[in-house]
Amino acid sequence: MYEIATIDYIIIALYLAGMVGVGLWFAKKHTDFEDFFLASRSLTTPLLITTLISTYYGIDVLFGDSQLGFTNGVVAWFAYARPTYAFFLIAAFLLAHRLREDDFKSLPDILDKYYGKKTRYVGAVTSFIYSLPALSLYGFGMLGEVILGWEPIMGMVVLGGIALVYTLTGGFWAVAFTDSIQFVLMCVVLAMAFPFAMNLIGGFDEMIEVLEPSYFDTMGDMSIWLIIIYASTGLSILVEPTFYQRIFAAKSYKNVRNALVIGIFIWGSYDWIITIIAMAAKVAVIQGTLPFDVAPDAALLTIMVAALPAGALGLFMAGVLSTEMSTLDSYCLVAGGNVAYDIYKPAFKPEASDQELIKTTRHGILLSWVLGFAMAISFDQMLGLWVFMASILISSVLAPILLGMYVPNFRKPLAGFLSAGLGLVSTVILNIYIMTNGVFDLEEETYIIDWFGIDFMLEFVMYITVPISLIGFFVGVLFDKGDHHE
Amino acid sequence: MSNWEIFTWITVIILGFGSVAVFVLFVKDIKEILKKFHKE
Repeated sequence: MYEIATIDYIIIALYLAGMVGVGLWFAKKHTDFEDFFLASRSLTTPLLITTLISTYYGIDVLFGDSQLGFTNGVVAWFAYARPTYAFFLIAAFLLAHRLREDDFKSLPDILDKYYGKKTRYVGAVTSFIYSLPALSLYGFGMLGEVILGWEPIMGMVVLGGIALVYTLTGGFWAVAFTDSIQFVLMCVVLAMAFPFAMNLIGGFDEMIEVLEPSYFDTMGDMSIWLIIIYASTGLSILVEPTFYQRIFAAKSYKNVRNALVIGIFIWGSYDWIITIIAMAAKVAVIQGTLPFDVAPDAALLTIMVAALPAGALGLFMAGVLSTEMSTLDSYCLVAGGNVAYDIYKPAFKPEASDQELIKTTRHGILLSWVLGFAMAISFDQMLGLWVFMASILISSVLAPILLGMYVPNFRKPLAGFLSAGLGLVSTVILNIYIMTNGVFDLEEETYIIDWFGIDFMLEFVMYITVPISLIGFFVGVLFDKGDHHE
Repeated sequence: MSNWEIFTWITVIILGFGSVAVFVLFVKDIKEILKKFHKE
């Protein structure tokens, strides 16, 4: 635990109380399900920017980027973060427009329209698993321990519980409002932190002089296969359930496009500053200002505690908490919607009223939180879980959604069902197989299994499961003799 | 000042002022939205 002044604690407490206040304020104001789940499709460009950016950036990005910046330098931005922006541009100009053509409310809605109910349910299960907040809760455990000196489980319950309360009560309006406050907090604090970090190490020129030249090599020394895999995880943006939810909740397509184009500059700046501050932490370690054994994923937090004055540190800590809360609330809400709107209503009660749907969504939010909590306390290696979560979505729904969207003749029920179903099942089986039969490599920080003399990493699962999903799709197109859907 | 440093300062300005500008526009929009809630 770090030394933190009383004023910093007061700032953190005020921030947490404010978040709960917003949720309670919206508690009784929802008119119908669309209002609760999509804020009546009335999000304007500024609201979309704030909610898109704060949701997509959890502490996995904050600490993941900073860990790479600390150990490898600017490659963290050029090879990991930059490809993502290309996918956001694709989403802005090629995807969002088509998603707004119909009255969709969720990702499984699209699968239902293209392929029918069975594929809808597979998509709903995939989206629900992907949205379980296990990583966020694990992150809260870590933050509670580092910032407040709590046991990890206490951090998960208290900090994760606060995000749960305002999501349960306030729905998407509360999520969008809190996201906006969290957005400005995390961005301003990070921008403010840069000069303090430079002041600590003696300036930017000192950093260039002290660090090895490889720290400024834009492509570093990573293998091309890993670069391809990390770059292709950006594909998940094209089928991201929370991203889709924001596109559906926008006032118009133009709002989405403008928000994404403006957002890319803010995303890029955010990633870059994290990378540079983490590199500054490395300099501080070499200079002896920070302890030599500082963990790479704690580098960002450690240098901030050393560099920021009281008050500013409290804001930074609140900013870090914001980063994670805005992620947890959004995913819980999507998971709740999957339970109520995508499964319960079509499968069990088509005549369910809006109030009933809101109530069931709240039950779904609670269920996703509890399942995420169980996963967070039972998994030893969160990285393995992260890879699983990322691969499940791409392997299952990417092919049927994009192929169905652009080639209407491919909209055959069997094609959608086989593609999504085989993608989901093969991802689950392969991940479990490698995690149970492989070994965790501390150097590579991933599970590795020896297959035919090749060290097969957990990250490579998508090289098998995406082709399986594609084969399933085209087998379905070939053997489904019925008319295409819609 | 190196090109890396110039680039970093540009990102600091984009992040700092850009996020505040977006937040100001958000506050303007929010006034309208809150009016809707008060009416209801």
